[in-house]
Amino acid sequence: MTSPQLSNYLVSNRKRLALSQKEVALLLGNTGGAKVSRYERFDREPSLETALALEVIFQRSASELFSGLYQKVEQEVIERAKALASRTDRGNPKRQIFTNIANKSLN
Amino acid sequence: MNAIHPKQFRILAIAPVTRGFGFAVLEGQDTLVNWGVKTVKGKGNKNAKLLPKVEELIARYQPGVLVLEDASAKGSLRHTRIRRLAPQIVKVAETCKVDVKLFSREHMLKILVPDGQRTKHDLAKVVAGQFPVQLGYKLPPKRTAAMREHYQMGIFDAVMVAMVFRLEH
Repeated sequence: MTSPQLSNYLVSNRKRLALSQKEVALLLGNTGGAKVSRYERFDREPSLETALALEVIFQRSASELFSGLYQKVEQEVIERAKALASRTDRGNPKRQIFTNIANKSLN
Repeated sequence: MNAIHPKQFRILAIAPVTRGFGFAVLEGQDTLVNWGVKTVKGKGNKNAKLLPKVEELIARYQPGVLVLEDASAKGSLRHTRIRRLAPQIVKVAETCKVDVKLFSREHMLKILVPDGQRTKHDLAKVVAGQFPVQLGYKLPPKRTAAMREHYQMGIFDAVMVAMVFRLEH
């Protein structure tokens, strides 16, 4: 039995470094910890800039910090790649690129 | 990427304490996702105030199982309020369709320290040793007879219950 993947692992990374929400907020350039709290409660998704800042703070890749979100996006891209591959002519070299994306293999 | 946080079993452990309850969320073999103490203030029915917090944790972490100490087990020395709280937590978990596993203190000690009785502080040290980065700095100082129990001891109790479940499954 498995549990659904969590959207992000910010709280475990923050607590690992013994940082408060306010301290993370200050590092992100905010004044209060409310936004950080919302990210941790999965109520809000950070902007790309904030996600990259979190990567710098926690020294973990954004895909690792937001692994649940990453998996969701990955699955969606794979589905689109499959659809595009099926719509592309066999002789077209892009078909192989779409197939590789769908199979998560190197292009 | 998937090797770091693979889709796997999540455990929510709850350990009722005087001010509220300690909790820990474990994922996979040894990933501590979150831990802390939820407290309630003011007069009134403390248990009723705590149950929404349990519900919130279940909703947020969607655990595969909720584990807690069996406060009504034979030989348990827990306060009457906590004895009443445990079945209420079980009920909340069942409403949220989450499996529940209860462990008696005696059973947990058998699993964690098979060589004999240890103090609560010794057990907390075992837990802190398992998660040194996350919990090492939270280990309260050894309690003397004149001191009341540190409120963060609930975290160690919760992780301990989760570890027992992990060791048995």
